[in-house]
Amino acid sequence: MNANNVFINCPFDNDYFVLLKPLLFSLCYIDLNPQISETSDSGEIRLHKIKGLIENSRYSIHDLSRMEPLRDNELPRFNMPFECGIDFGIKLSNPVDFADKRFLILEKESYRYQKVISDISGNDIKAHKNDPELITKVVRDWFKPTNPNIPRHKEIWLAYIEFEFDYEEILNSEGYDPKDINSLTYSDIVENMKAWIIEYKKK
Amino acid sequence: MAKTSSKSNLTGKFSKAASTNSGRVHVVPTKDGWSVKKEGAKRSSVVTSTKEGAIKAAKNVKSAERIVVHKKDGTIQRNAKKGEL
Repeated sequence: MNANNVFINCPFDNDYFVLLKPLLFSLCYIDLNPQISETSDSGEIRLHKIKGLIENSRYSIHDLSRMEPLRDNELPRFNMPFECGIDFGIKLSNPVDFADKRFLILEKESYRYQKVISDISGNDIKAHKNDPELITKVVRDWFKPTNPNIPRHKEIWLAYIEFEFDYEEILNSEGYDPKDINSLTYSDIVENMKAWIIEYKKK
Repeated sequence: MAKTSSKSNLTGKFSKAASTNSGRVHVVPTKDGWSVKKEGAKRSSVVTSTKEGAIKAAKNVKSAERIVVHKKDGTIQRNAKKGEL
């Protein structure tokens, strides 16, 4: 289990991209390694990859905020609670090997989860209110006890703002749509974020 | 999907963009108001209660060449020369 890996279980769509980017950026900024399963694999292979990522990550962030449909004609998303359950199952069935594993569960509103998935009560559950700055603060504050050198959330948010400008400029110049979550792979996004942050911190 | 650069070139562009001082000043909505941030600075130079006040403060930054106004989600609302705002 890698002590700096963070398994990310969240929606992968353009609506969520404005939250996913600052989430990934915050983790990269505090020198952690986001782990995301690319969605192109078939079901069984994908599940094995998810299991491998979970087992190799000390931390997991599960965003259950899409337990309700975003629009009237859509259905809620069950992948996130399903993968969250896999993670809990791995920890509970291997209590010695995964004693240090920690979960952060994200929701849109405080306490709403109690109506639909009350079994997770007692875990670290934080609301981000679909606010990109707030997700930065929630993630930063949760990791702060693990590292006293983590900067305040506003430094991370202001750095992210500057990154976002460069992200839009560079992707537009390359003929990509910066609003489209599929323009780059997740591993490319993380790699570009890390490269950007290394130079930014030198200033 | 257009692909005009290799992966390493793209990463190089991100590294270069982060290391370049461009004369841009960012106007950013934050929890404590509207922040004015010079590119590369780790802290806001000014925080105001209104967007208009922040734009005015950004224009007063001597090194400012362009003002970039952000939306609440961090994306770009406007990117203009200092004199155009």
